Amino acid sequence: MAAPVPAVCWVRAAAALLLGCCGAALASGVQDQAEQFFRSGHTNNWAVLVCTSRFWFNYRHVANTLSVYRSVKRLGIPDSHIVLMLADDMACNPRNPKPATVFSHKNMELNVYGDDVEVDYRSYEVTVENFLRVLTGRIPPSTPRSKRLLSDDRSNILIYMTGHGGNGFLKFQDSEEITNVELADAFEQMWQKRRYNELLFIIDTCQGASMYERFYSPNIMALASSQVGEDSLSHQPDLGIGVHLMDRYTFYVLEFLEEIHPASQTNMNDLFQVCPKSLCVSTPGHRTDLFQRDPQNVLITDFFGSVRKVEITTETVSLDSDLAGFESKLPKDELATEPLKYAEQLPVAEIIHQKPKQKDWHPPGGFILGLWALIIMVFFKTYGIKHMKYIF
Amino acid sequence: MAAPLVLVVLVAVTVRAVLYRSSLAAFISERVEVASPLNAWKRVVEGLALLDLGVSPYSGAIFHETPLIIYLFHFLIEYAELVFMITDVLTAVALYLAIQDFNKVVFKKQKLLIELDKYAPDVAELIRTPMEMHYIPLKVALFYLLNPYTVMSCVAKSTCAINNTVIAFFILATIKGSAFLSAVFLALATYQSLYPLTLFAPALLYLLQRQFIPIKLKSKSFWLYTMQYAALYLCSLVVIICLSFFLLNSWDFIPSVYGFILSVPDLTPNIGLFWYFFAEMFEHFSLFFVCVFQINVFFYTIPLAIKLKEHPVFFMFVQIAIISIFKSYPTVGDIALYMAFLPVWSHLYRFLRNIFILSCVLIVCSLLFPVLWHLWIYAGSANSNFYYAITLTFNIGQILLISDYFYAFLRREYYLTHGLHLTRQDGTEAMLVLK
Repeated sequence: MAAPVPAVCWVRAAAALLLGCCGAALASGVQDQAEQFFRSGHTNNWAVLVCTSRFWFNYRHVANTLSVYRSVKRLGIPDSHIVLMLADDMACNPRNPKPATVFSHKNMELNVYGDDVEVDYRSYEVTVENFLRVLTGRIPPSTPRSKRLLSDDRSNILIYMTGHGGNGFLKFQDSEEITNVELADAFEQMWQKRRYNELLFIIDTCQGASMYERFYSPNIMALASSQVGEDSLSHQPDLGIGVHLMDRYTFYVLEFLEEIHPASQTNMNDLFQVCPKSLCVSTPGHRTDLFQRDPQNVLITDFFGSVRKVEITTETVSLDSDLAGFESKLPKDELATEPLKYAEQLPVAEIIHQKPKQKDWHPPGGFILGLWALIIMVFFKTYGIKHMKYIF
Repeated sequence: MAAPLVLVVLVAVTVRAVLYRSSLAAFISERVEVASPLNAWKRVVEGLALLDLGVSPYSGAIFHETPLIIYLFHFLIEYAELVFMITDVLTAVALYLAIQDFNKVVFKKQKLLIELDKYAPDVAELIRTPMEMHYIPLKVALFYLLNPYTVMSCVAKSTCAINNTVIAFFILATIKGSAFLSAVFLALATYQSLYPLTLFAPALLYLLQRQFIPIKLKSKSFWLYTMQYAALYLCSLVVIICLSFFLLNSWDFIPSVYGFILSVPDLTPNIGLFWYFFAEMFEHFSLFFVCVFQINVFFYTIPLAIKLKEHPVFFMFVQIAIISIFKSYPTVGDIALYMAFLPVWSHLYRFLRNIFILSCVLIVCSLLFPVLWHLWIYAGSANSNFYYAITLTFNIGQILLISDYFYAFLRREYYLTHGLHLTRQDGTEAMLVLK
């Protein structure tokens, strides 16, 4: 009877050990997930998608914006959190041979217009002023909710802009421009008013990298389709519609985003690789020096999706109507911390450099000496040297 | 005479102090008729603020004041209101003393000419008596201090008041006879706004007259004195400009101040004649017309010097008026200075022909300036032509006023030597005409 007992014991021990290992692995997986739960500090997602060009031959810019809109909606951001600005109506344009559609792939494979597009700023409402007002929140009180960016300090915002641009500017509606300095200042206003937690700025225009050169606010990551001095090229024309349907960079970004689902763990480094020079002809650029987290740890869905951080619990909590007993349970010998003022909650001064205050100007001594010497000389010349004897 | 002057000064200071504390001060300092790009207070503050930030105030196109003004206001900027009240008072006192002395000179000259029998027999009513001339200095001070133009200019804290003070001191020094001080103050006035250069001629004529040097082109003493005075003036100007270099260690102020005055790049509407023309002109012609307009200011000096060489103070008055009408950025402060002299020529009243119409024109145009500005800029129902029409009318009124006084003065001089009842050769009554 002694021989089978140790074998059974050994099997049992091995099983226990195996279970223990599995449990540990599972626990660490849960712990990883729990860590990730707290990894990014945002609680809601917003998207501001802007197409700045009008006229039929700029079809591709509208298609770019609508494809990003489609991906962002598919990944969970609701229309109430998307501000979509399209400078022209391509779907109902009289030159569109397929009305009510905007295609992104040739042979009309993918209609990005869909049935449930909600355009917030359309046609002539897409101006630099309206765009900056949306970003900074300085909107007249009569603006409807759908036209506002109601973000808070826990919002991750995706800002996508496309159109025609140059070195340091982006053209709006063929009549005005926004410069990179204005954009950087608008983002700084957003930061100072705590309108975002983290911001991802994507731009698909010629010389797009110049638009993110001037950013100086923290927590901004920027991607552009081409460097300064390069043009962003369009992808493919459709002979049935007669215009180019998409720009290369956004086309490959769209293909990349089609693989993403709300639970995917793809991070930003993959997005940076999206359109290499061989496919895109221009060199896409990115800027992460203002971003506090490592791009490796930033999920695509942190910006493109609206992943709700919910954890389902099976516990039940009964709300106690009698709170007096609860209050008395607080330990009295806790250190009385001062309530933090709103502005002190974020280490702003450590992030933003303060310019040293300039010293006041003083006139040079030589000037004062010369001037008063002249005045005294004139005085004595007029009234005579004889007064000097009263002084000396 | 000191007590009434003090009273007038007190009243003026009270009026200004009351206006400073009222809400009108902000409104007045924004008016383009009172503040021009050359002398607006906003720009002085901006220039000093730029200096505090370590940037030269001349680096932009905002600040067009001279370095001495920078120095003055660097220490006095908190007391700016007091400074401007004091400058107005100083101007009035200087004019008072100058006109007092001038009246003595006039009276002495008149006595001399009567004794020399240079006057016609029937001009007794034209002879001036010390009794009627007694209150003229007080009236001059009164006219300057309580003129609405001066009050507005002071409340707006326009540095035109400082220019007026320097010119008043220059007049005082000239009339007292001190060539050195007169040259120094003229150099300061020219340094600040360039156009008082034309006052060199009347000052020289007055000083020559005072030294009893005859104004003949061949006379050696004439040229000697002229050279001396010119040398004093030029040397002081050079010294002041070189001294200003040392304030900021750069010559930036020369294009910013004198280049700005001469080339008129800023076409903000004002009560002058330049802005409208140059707003409409093609680039091609603008240099030519700038030269024409600027020559127009300096052009009248020589003919007037020839005509008025016996009456240099009247020449000075006409010259100051010409400067304030034709300068590139006139403001009402410049007008206030020559209007202060009008009581000195009050004896010419009977010879003025259009004085009623002209005073109506001037008053109505002054009142219409803000109206048409509002219609143009705020209501949008007028355009710049309306405002320029009023500017033109106002300037025409001023020019006619000056020429009326000129005519009256010359007519009185003619009557003094030729008698009041002029007859032509055939015995009918003749009329003097200004050709």
